Amino acid sequence: MVKAYINGTGCISAQNTIDESWFFETVAPPSVDYYNAIEPSYKEYIAPNLLRRMGRAIKMGVTTASIAIKNAGVTNVDAIITGTGLGCFEDSERFLLALLNNDEQFLTPTSFIQSTHNTVGSQIALIMKCHNYNFTYVHRGFSFESCLQDAMMLFNEGKESILIGGIEEHTPNYVNLYRRAKKFQEQNTAVPYWKSETSGTQMGEGAAFFVLNKHQTEKSVACVEGIQTLYKPKTTEDILDKLTAFLKMYSLTLADIDVTLMGFSLDVNFDKKLQELLPTIEKESCPAYFKHLSGEYHTASAFALWLATQLIEKQNLPKAISISQKAPTAIKHVLIINQYLGINYSFMLVAKV
Amino acid sequence: MSQRIYITGIGMISAIGNNVSESFLSLSQSKTGIGKINYLTTRYKDEFLVGEVKLSNADLMDLVKDNSPDLNRNSYLAMLAAKEAVINSGIDTKDGLRTGVISSTTVAGMSKTEMFYKEMFEKDDHLNVLDTHDCGDSTERIADYIGNVDYVTTISTACSSAANAVMLGSRMIKNGLLDRAIVGGVDALSKFTFNGFNTLMILDKEWCKPFDENRKGLNLGEGAAFLVIEGEDALRKRNGKALAEVIGYANANDAYHQTASSPEGYGATLAITQALEMCGLTTRDIDYINMHGTGTPNNDLSESIATKTVFGNHIPKFSSTKAFTGHTLAAAASIEAVISTLSLQHQLIFPNLNFTTPIAETNLVPVTELLQTPINTILSNSFGFGGNCSSLIFKKI
Repeated sequence: MVKAYINGTGCISAQNTIDESWFFETVAPPSVDYYNAIEPSYKEYIAPNLLRRMGRAIKMGVTTASIAIKNAGVTNVDAIITGTGLGCFEDSERFLLALLNNDEQFLTPTSFIQSTHNTVGSQIALIMKCHNYNFTYVHRGFSFESCLQDAMMLFNEGKESILIGGIEEHTPNYVNLYRRAKKFQEQNTAVPYWKSETSGTQMGEGAAFFVLNKHQTEKSVACVEGIQTLYKPKTTEDILDKLTAFLKMYSLTLADIDVTLMGFSLDVNFDKKLQELLPTIEKESCPAYFKHLSGEYHTASAFALWLATQLIEKQNLPKAISISQKAPTAIKHVLIINQYLGINYSFMLVAKV
Repeated sequence: MSQRIYITGIGMISAIGNNVSESFLSLSQSKTGIGKINYLTTRYKDEFLVGEVKLSNADLMDLVKDNSPDLNRNSYLAMLAAKEAVINSGIDTKDGLRTGVISSTTVAGMSKTEMFYKEMFEKDDHLNVLDTHDCGDSTERIADYIGNVDYVTTISTACSSAANAVMLGSRMIKNGLLDRAIVGGVDALSKFTFNGFNTLMILDKEWCKPFDENRKGLNLGEGAAFLVIEGEDALRKRNGKALAEVIGYANANDAYHQTASSPEGYGATLAITQALEMCGLTTRDIDYINMHGTGTPNNDLSESIATKTVFGNHIPKFSSTKAFTGHTLAAAASIEAVISTLSLQHQLIFPNLNFTTPIAETNLVPVTELLQTPINTILSNSFGFGGNCSSLIFKKI
């Protein structure tokens, strides 16, 4: 079966992951009930004439893509595939407010042009002069998963080197509206994140890009063996059945999974099935969580894949993400079980090379 | 592993009709759906022409038979067209085969968000509109409306979106991940897109004139179209009937400018050439091209040059059907895939309306009257902002 070797990564998140040596030395808490990404000085990564017009999602995406490409040591790729749930929200909002506030007059096109969801993918293509396959997925908690699945299909179809990434940004208005819609909560520190009994997540944002290769090279730090999405599974048993079948395709069982990164979001309504799944995971594997580092967003699974790669590289499961007292002796397989709004579930199987 | 991919059901709603048979009638009678603005709220109501679906949101709600307040115009259009395609195909999603819904949209729930966005800052009443603002919403509505769907995803590559949905669905079946897919796209008209295109100064205030020397821009449209595509195994299993075959597709990037096409149409040339290569056809094998042909000075010249580059002196018969429907953005490629399927079924080329004078540089003349002619293969082009270029090739059964 085809594998996707991870040859380079780049990550901007609510943690200081833009510093490529970061590995839990510092862990940034949320800003009360949501997270802001820690952004770099973009002029180190993007030409000033381009930078001036870019919204934050584009800056985060282009920067992390360029870091991944640099780390992989490639100059071009066979495909650029991006995933984003809300796209360039800042530009969309800017154009929308301008037209509403001025009764559709005195508008300029820049923010409209940049509001389209494929802007990050096309900006990367423009900068790289890459005429190859270019795709943007925009499906909620499947936006990044669809990128990964597409890349694996493209490898099957003969492509060699592919850039994929997930990008999400929020704006002050967006945070304000979502908070008023009661979608956020402050964590009750007396209750563990994965046992939440209350509703509300903590929104995050960020971008993570990966250069994937069909074959292992000296740059390969880990590989993705499989990806599967589940739309609205009815019961926890459904998820477990699908998971067992998924692992079986790679001749694995849960006992072979050293670390399981679970997408607990702090909202009990969305986390319920993962909460029910946790005892089974705990029995066989070392469960861990990650959204208390990244915040919850459509493409938080891109952050999870970046984190899985880190765990494999460092062969270390830090206390800061561990759910149980168990520690793996070695990290050969990391499984990501993500969920978004309790509707979009996904499995990503990552392995040491 | 390389299964053949068949189109077995089509559904469509746009300015030229609320379903496929109404659309076919309009196409056969050269009757455009583009006219004065009736439903979109805008200060430019009397100044521009658009291709609106001739139904209010209340009418659409009656048609989908679902009065959920969470549905918006995008969802109504998507649900209606997808359901029509499923009924037309005769598939039963409860039969245990794996069904995917692969949709596409550019503005998603914006037509509703823009009505309530300002209010949201003052009152809590409409905050739930945010839940249906994103692109994935209408796709999941389709999946739930049809039921028993195993896989969903949504694509947004501007005006080439639905072509990529057809391509992805075909690839997923060939890769053994799905047995069949409901593929297509949807975009409802919104003040947001209307004003966006207006600030780019690429809207024609009169009927658009694709490939005409004096073309001034596009007319925006709205709509949705979906196709049921099935692998040959799934089709054989249920003894279903194919309407047409998807034999080629390609996706390339112009990498020239965020909104404009390169003068030589490099991305378009790549997409067309690679789609031909995929199915082993030569340029002589294409009987008709359903062009992207938006009516903007930039697109039509660039596409004409790309067409000449690929086809040389043997340019197939071609037309743009956007003067019927308007440019329906993410839905355009699936609307044109449905139109191409109708062309193959009825052996008809639908005309390029409003054309009088060829573009001086390229001198290409489209088909301007309804034409009955043998058509075996059709190339359909779709290009979008961000340099996204996709071409599809369909074959008669």
